Amino acid sequence: MSAAVEARGVGRRYGSVVAVEDLSFAVEAGEILGVLGPNGAGKTTAIRVLTTILAPTWGTFTVTGIPFSRPADIRARIGVLPESGGYPERQTGGEYLRYHARLFGRSRADSRAIADELLAEVGLHERRRSLIGGYSRGMRQRLGIARALVNRPDVVFLDEPTLGLDPAGQRQMLETVRRIARERGACVLLSTHLLAEVEETCSRILILNRGRVVADGTVAEITRSAAAPRSATLRVAPGHAERAGALLRAVEGIHDVEVPQDQSGLLAVTFDRNGEVSVNEALVALTRRGLPILSFELEGARLSDAFLAMTEAV
Amino acid sequence: MSTVTVPRRGWPAVLEQELRDLWIGGRGLALGVAFSILMSVVAYLVATNRGLNFLEHRETVNLALQVAVAVGALLALLAGADAVSGERERGTLESLLLSPVSRLGLTGGKLVAALSLWAAAFAITVPYVWFLGRGVGVVGDSLATGAVVGTLLAVSLASLGVLISVFAVSNRVSLSLSLFALLALFVPTQLPSGAQKGWLGEGLLRIDPITAGEHYVGRIVVDGRGWTEDVSWLLSPMIAAVVLTTVALGAGSRLRLAGGVAG
Repeated sequence: MSAAVEARGVGRRYGSVVAVEDLSFAVEAGEILGVLGPNGAGKTTAIRVLTTILAPTWGTFTVTGIPFSRPADIRARIGVLPESGGYPERQTGGEYLRYHARLFGRSRADSRAIADELLAEVGLHERRRSLIGGYSRGMRQRLGIARALVNRPDVVFLDEPTLGLDPAGQRQMLETVRRIARERGACVLLSTHLLAEVEETCSRILILNRGRVVADGTVAEITRSAAAPRSATLRVAPGHAERAGALLRAVEGIHDVEVPQDQSGLLAVTFDRNGEVSVNEALVALTRRGLPILSFELEGARLSDAFLAMTEAV
Repeated sequence: MSTVTVPRRGWPAVLEQELRDLWIGGRGLALGVAFSILMSVVAYLVATNRGLNFLEHRETVNLALQVAVAVGALLALLAGADAVSGERERGTLESLLLSPVSRLGLTGGKLVAALSLWAAAFAITVPYVWFLGRGVGVVGDSLATGAVVGTLLAVSLASLGVLISVFAVSNRVSLSLSLFALLALFVPTQLPSGAQKGWLGEGLLRIDPITAGEHYVGRIVVDGRGWTEDVSWLLSPMIAAVVLTTVALGAGSRLRLAGGVAG
């Protein structure tokens, strides 16, 4: 069985500017692939190439086994929520979905049934006869998701679906994304800036930077491979801070220790990259010398740290 | 994986929706009303002038028909000019391009919908021509000539509008360029009558599809000539209709999201 999406060395150039340089990855049906990257990393261009809006300047890709040289066949099997998609203000939600279902070759009766079903699924059935001009941002995004599903796609591309939504709207949107993958068995490619939600939602992550894939794997794999610097906050009894600082500096794998001057006993410890072992060694070094540890909090090694490390934004 | 049928001919769905957008709650109805008011004013003025013996009976019909053809074609031009750049400006073009309907189908459906404005304008014109042409046996010929010439000009101008719209990055640019092109086509009609004579003047009138078409209407309606006698005047409107439609659909079949056509 072929991958839902498979890209091999895909690149796209705008004049002299290379927006996507070497995009290679494969993703299977039912997976949710988070596509991350800083602004200008090439996420939207990559999605536009994979959805056949733009032709690749070089490289090849397939969607559900269909080569990119058959764009109409690919478009028949994908659903897309574009990043900056607009909506016809004078159409009703129901009319909008029926039209798009018709564009996918559905009969009038089928289009009506599909529109009703999808509007109910995204919670807009009550507003199906209202003009889109009166919809809120969140309602429009949900309508956009429904539009992306009118053809029962095998692959769904969502470009910044939570953009401009409040926290409740973001959570609702991500729950919808999970449901698409779970209940429809579709592969979802999700481009977003919400790293915490990506950690919860995506089964795999692709990090793009300057048009290149800099990481591809699960959240755990990426945070490990990124070897993002970790830090910890340690509290010892007041008066023991200087001694604790000296002991910790001697431990291999500890990059830096900041000892406060305010007698609070709080020490800021920064570990070297790949410093997983040194965390334990630091604690052992202190307890062996009978220094009481009042609190210990490990920070870092999260997706956000890996993201920053890999995109050279630190 | 689901089994999906790729619609090979999606333009009827595009046409249907475009007609709904234009005529139900859109600008079509308002433009139709405005056109009716214009025709009423024109009919009143030419009828008054005829009553004062300033105009021949046949000339009143010709004048009203020429206004109807010119304004009807202008409406088709404006609808064509909005077809693609309007979607681009509203951000709705990408979702259309993401459907399996070919870009040719999208452009074709929009082009035919733009022509509906001409069809409506002509339907509105019929009673005015009948009213003005009663009694001189010119109504049938006038309507038939107006339909042929008007359709050729409307197809030409709507195609020109669509062509500009495919390339324009904004609706304002598209509408401005389209109107500028239309004004340029009307320039020969404003030349002094002396400059319209001789081989250069007549050549200019014949090359310009609008002046050639309106000249042909005048020959049939005012001079009572046969349909085939001056058919050579229809050459440039016909060539313009075929060439502009072909070029517009060709460009439309390769239209890009950001404006222009794919190389």
